[in-house]
Amino acid sequence: MSFVRFAIRRVAEMAATLLTASFVVFAAMYLAPGNPASFLLAGRSASPEALASINAQYHLDDPFLLRYFRWLGDVLQGDFGRSITYRTDVSRLLADRLPTTLILIVMSLVVVVAVGLLLGRVAAVRGGATDSAILVTTTFAVGTPSFVAAVLLQGLFAVKLGWFPSSGAGDGGLGDMLWHLTLPSIALALYLIGMLARVTRSAMLEALDSEHVTVARSRGVPERQVIRRHVFRNSLGTVLTTGGLIVSTLLVCTILVETAFSIGGIGQLLELSTTTKDFPTVQAISLIIVALFMIVNLIVDLLLPLVDPRVTLGSRSAAV
Amino acid sequence: MTTSPPGTRTGTRTGRRRHGRRARLGSAAAAATAALTSISLLAACSGPPKDKAAGITDVKLAVSTPEARGEIDSFTWAVYAEPPTLDYTVAFDYPQNTVLSNVCESLMRWTPGLATEPGLAQKASNPDPTTWVYDLRPGVRFHDGKEMTADDVVFSLGRQKDPDNAAAWAQVFQNVASITKSGPLQVTVKLSKPDSQFPQYMATAAGVIASRATVEAAGKDYGTTGGLGCTGPFKLGTWNKGQSIELERFDGYWGTRAKSKKAVFRVLTDPSARTNALLSGEADGGYLIPTESYARLKGSGAGTLYFGEGLSTVNVNITNMQGPLGDIRVRRALSLALDRTGFVKAGLGGAGTVTNSLTTRAAWAAAPERTLKTAFDSLPPTGQDLEKAKALAKEAGATGKTLTVATSSIGQDVSLLATAVQAAGTQIGLDIQLKTIAPNAFTALFTDPQAREGIDMFPLTYYDSITDPLDLLQNFKTGAYMNFAGYSDPGYDKLVDQASAVYPTEQRMDIEAKLQHHASEQLLWIPVAEWPTALFLNKRITGAPTTISYMYYPWAADVGASQ
Repeated sequence: MSFVRFAIRRVAEMAATLLTASFVVFAAMYLAPGNPASFLLAGRSASPEALASINAQYHLDDPFLLRYFRWLGDVLQGDFGRSITYRTDVSRLLADRLPTTLILIVMSLVVVVAVGLLLGRVAAVRGGATDSAILVTTTFAVGTPSFVAAVLLQGLFAVKLGWFPSSGAGDGGLGDMLWHLTLPSIALALYLIGMLARVTRSAMLEALDSEHVTVARSRGVPERQVIRRHVFRNSLGTVLTTGGLIVSTLLVCTILVETAFSIGGIGQLLELSTTTKDFPTVQAISLIIVALFMIVNLIVDLLLPLVDPRVTLGSRSAAV
Repeated sequence: MTTSPPGTRTGTRTGRRRHGRRARLGSAAAAATAALTSISLLAACSGPPKDKAAGITDVKLAVSTPEARGEIDSFTWAVYAEPPTLDYTVAFDYPQNTVLSNVCESLMRWTPGLATEPGLAQKASNPDPTTWVYDLRPGVRFHDGKEMTADDVVFSLGRQKDPDNAAAWAQVFQNVASITKSGPLQVTVKLSKPDSQFPQYMATAAGVIASRATVEAAGKDYGTTGGLGCTGPFKLGTWNKGQSIELERFDGYWGTRAKSKKAVFRVLTDPSARTNALLSGEADGGYLIPTESYARLKGSGAGTLYFGEGLSTVNVNITNMQGPLGDIRVRRALSLALDRTGFVKAGLGGAGTVTNSLTTRAAWAAAPERTLKTAFDSLPPTGQDLEKAKALAKEAGATGKTLTVATSSIGQDVSLLATAVQAAGTQIGLDIQLKTIAPNAFTALFTDPQAREGIDMFPLTYYDSITDPLDLLQNFKTGAYMNFAGYSDPGYDKLVDQASAVYPTEQRMDIEAKLQHHASEQLLWIPVAEWPTALFLNKRITGAPTTISYMYYPWAADVGASQ
């Protein structure tokens, strides 16, 4: 497939997905109980005039489709609207909080890839007792919800030992932030490290059993080179295809980890905005999450042919 | 089509569009990947573990904490949520009021002892039943350097009345006909009818005065960006969104200078994170301590846990009078079967007192002895009497009937009270169903009749914003906002109107005593316990008040060094 055709198709797909997602989220919010106006009034009774005024300001009385298309029209012009709860522009609200969440997710991703690949590789190559030990450890990691991991890490490293702060994202510079986000990123990464290690291990074991490895060995290629060139590289494709799953897990779990560590990122903001039916905020965050997810999928699809020459652009299958 | 993870806690599924032929992964890898994909993502980050409640004993209410002995550079305070905005017109919740009370001041002031005294107005006079005249304190400066005048007062109160502004305090101004400047430092409020609650509310955020120039310059962004243009001992410093709010001492303050140069409020949404921060010294203190942490903080040696008057009662709010609860005998049976003592131990961490009154005793502070007798004597009993309760339920023909109580994991005062109601009902032959509601939907119970469909009652902790029992008792008036059961009694309504129109406290409280009796006898909500405020201060600092006055009193200015 030509690259141009591939690019056009992917962009069109993304636009359609974003549109569908925005509609589904909007509809779900619309159907959920509660009225944003009453949250705005902090649960106090309001005069009919005040309610009417809010409903008019935020178009809460308009029919569903009209509201949705009004919102869509604004977004296409780059206007994400005003948060009903925070009484400020959604774009500003997100600009304040998005960096924290992105740094947290990137930190977790680095930990997941580095540790997960290493463990999987060591388990596959060494075998024996090392393999069993890693299997037990990763079983434990996969079985630990990130919320529990958060509580355990907080208790041990923050409260008992005092090595790391127990919560927050710091209010100094980047260094302070990284220090604050260390425990949360580990809590977020734990499950995925276990998952990635297992996928890497089984992919490599399969590659180790393949014919070309046997051939390479019989030709006297050094074992280290066999592992690097033939085994690890062959298994990378399998590992890469889990990328989408890894990132979507990070995006979903960040909501809970941010809450556990009181990191005011967009995960926590999403939870709060859903609570108060803050339409514009929930819509914007949902779109960001869906977009991130799709961008990662795109990156995976672009990288696959580079890692595994048998895979052509735009298909996830090796030509057999 | 790519299915994308929705951004909520509902189940998620990830899939991926596959193009062309399916990928042929190795068998082992395929099995692993398939297994992993089938694990719902949320298994990886499922909900919080349940904490075991640890109660404490020997809870004594402290009137205050030891006075500060010196100045400090800064102290850090834990709050459980970030204020969405610090605009005083929508400041109607613990987090925003805890911060705002130190930055913005009102015409009147609530004291740590929960009395009302002059604030930015040095005198409030009432020449006739529908007129209140406020004489302003001269020489008061706003944080923007301007001097406070009557114009600022007319403007600030006017914002609360403006329907386009959607103020949370609008209801306080329902009987206000006009607010006018009657002198350079005098403002006259005309009422459409006598209103005994209005002057008391001028001590809350409803009576905050801000600089007209600042508010107008900030426009739509007032409260979220830039200064607040108020007069308090602290001014708003850096607001690190989602993280912390810093207050800086205001050197031009008209009153007593704050003892700390800075007060930093840290947003700690998770209860255990909040407790950990208090234990590790990352936060020096905090109000609204999670009940499950009382014992841990008390025994830690890191500081002192204080309790004070909270004006809060924990109740079971009856929302459906169409079902079995419409029969007063069933309500009485439930009340008699409820193990209040057990609930206080488990649900309130042992800090609380069982009660048969909807209002706290502290709310009646200004009432004479005989009024108190009328209000509190011969109310329905608090003790358990299962035999009598069974008989009542049987007599009402309710045995075997199903009732639904809403519950949520927002706090033990809610979840454990729902369980206690279920236990009580089961013991007397009722079938009580728990309906678990997500924390975010629980708030909707207050605001959305649809959310209350199919629910007969839910646990409700209610606090008064002023030291007047009427604040709670007016909830049973026909059509009142929190009157979810739709109770209506012309006699009761008349008494509420009377009490609203009587200014002399003692006379008013006589009427309120009758209201209290009526509401408690009818069990419109089932009263369970009085819940004091909790305050933790570590060894470094002292001086904060123990009572709920921190909502509207500049408490942070009193916090200083303990040594």
